[in-house]
Amino acid sequence: MPFIAIQLVASIVLILLVSWLALALKLGNDVRLKGEAEARELAQTAVCGFDPVDLALDRAGIGALLRDSNGRVMLLRRHGAQFAARILDSHAFARLDRNFLTVGTGETTFGQVTLDLGNKAQVWAASLRRLGN
Amino acid sequence: MPQLGPVEYAIPFFILLIVLEMIWARRNAPQKYEPRDTLTSLALGVGSTAAGALTAGIVAAAAVWLFQHRVATIGWAWWAWIACFILDDFNYYWAHRTGHRVRWFWAAHVNHHSSQHYNLSTALRQTWTGFIALSFVFRIWPAFIGFDPVMIATCGAVNLIYQFWIHTEAIKRLPRWFEAVMNTPSHHRVHHAINPVYLDRNYAGVFIVWDRLFGTFQPERDDLRIQYGIVRQLGSFNVLWAVFHEWIGIAKDVWRAPWRHKLSYLVRAPGWTHDGSRDTSDTIRARWQEREGLAPAE
Repeated sequence: MPFIAIQLVASIVLILLVSWLALALKLGNDVRLKGEAEARELAQTAVCGFDPVDLALDRAGIGALLRDSNGRVMLLRRHGAQFAARILDSHAFARLDRNFLTVGTGETTFGQVTLDLGNKAQVWAASLRRLGN
Repeated sequence: MPQLGPVEYAIPFFILLIVLEMIWARRNAPQKYEPRDTLTSLALGVGSTAAGALTAGIVAAAAVWLFQHRVATIGWAWWAWIACFILDDFNYYWAHRTGHRVRWFWAAHVNHHSSQHYNLSTALRQTWTGFIALSFVFRIWPAFIGFDPVMIATCGAVNLIYQFWIHTEAIKRLPRWFEAVMNTPSHHRVHHAINPVYLDRNYAGVFIVWDRLFGTFQPERDDLRIQYGIVRQLGSFNVLWAVFHEWIGIAKDVWRAPWRHKLSYLVRAPGWTHDGSRDTSDTIRARWQEREGLAPAE
């Protein structure tokens, strides 16, 4: 086997071992939004100028929907041990199942998330449907 | 066995330091690492090494060609090493600055910034497409003025190795004299941050003096919680998406744009659009300054 192939195989084994170690050490944490204040702070950092006037936090803290005074709606969702955000546009979709609202951005790689919004779910589902109009 | 370069010899130390930092994180801040993020970073590192190996011959040939047509011969004196290292770091600064300010180069560099974490594994999140972007042009030109290509490559490798250890949150601040001259974890945390005040700052490789000299220096603030990553976070651990998403974005934008704007999507700043529908780091910073009641930068 050529040296470069050995190097490549060894590198792949090594990175799998290191990633396994990160798993074994329980790194990464099960992060949750601690409250509305944290959701607002993350939203403002994600999009400078986005000042939430209304928000719905997932009951388990895995994500949130936020609306600013310009009517823009942001999806904030957990990504590993961090949170990632998107302003929702006409490509977004929402599926309501009682208190659960599944929201997607239309971006395959960003994926979708199901939020438990309690009795706010229906109101937010309606407002997301209006984004398509 | 082929001859190994300085970076190859450094890899075992990289891995050892990553393991030590993981143990530190386990005790102090488990959220500093995320197994899937680490796997993505390391996979990007391996892919970058492979991509580099495939194209190294062409880059070396270009450097040798320049050396064959050199205007002077500098030789191997001790001072030539120092001069070459400083010149290479200066070149790195401008290559890196261009890598953030011109979308074509940013497309190759963005994957280094695509993690929302900042740890030693992030340092290995290197480009696969630097050769396509022709970033190496910034680094090989000293061969034309007489620096030996082997010396330039060695200085470049040492520069890269130096930058590994600064990708950490485990080290807060170093002595003032060191922070004044050298690139440090504190300075480089600023570089990887997406907080408006930190955007497009601290491009240095080894010596932070270049940023101080060319007006891009920003010290780390203790009152600010740093958010790492890119302005539009990927939200994905997909390795191929991390590597190619900006290239795909460029292709889509160029395809859709009116003819007179097509070139601008390659050479203008990341985030620029002909209709102003997206933000560049300059517009984000200006908006932030306005909100904070600060005068926009000249």
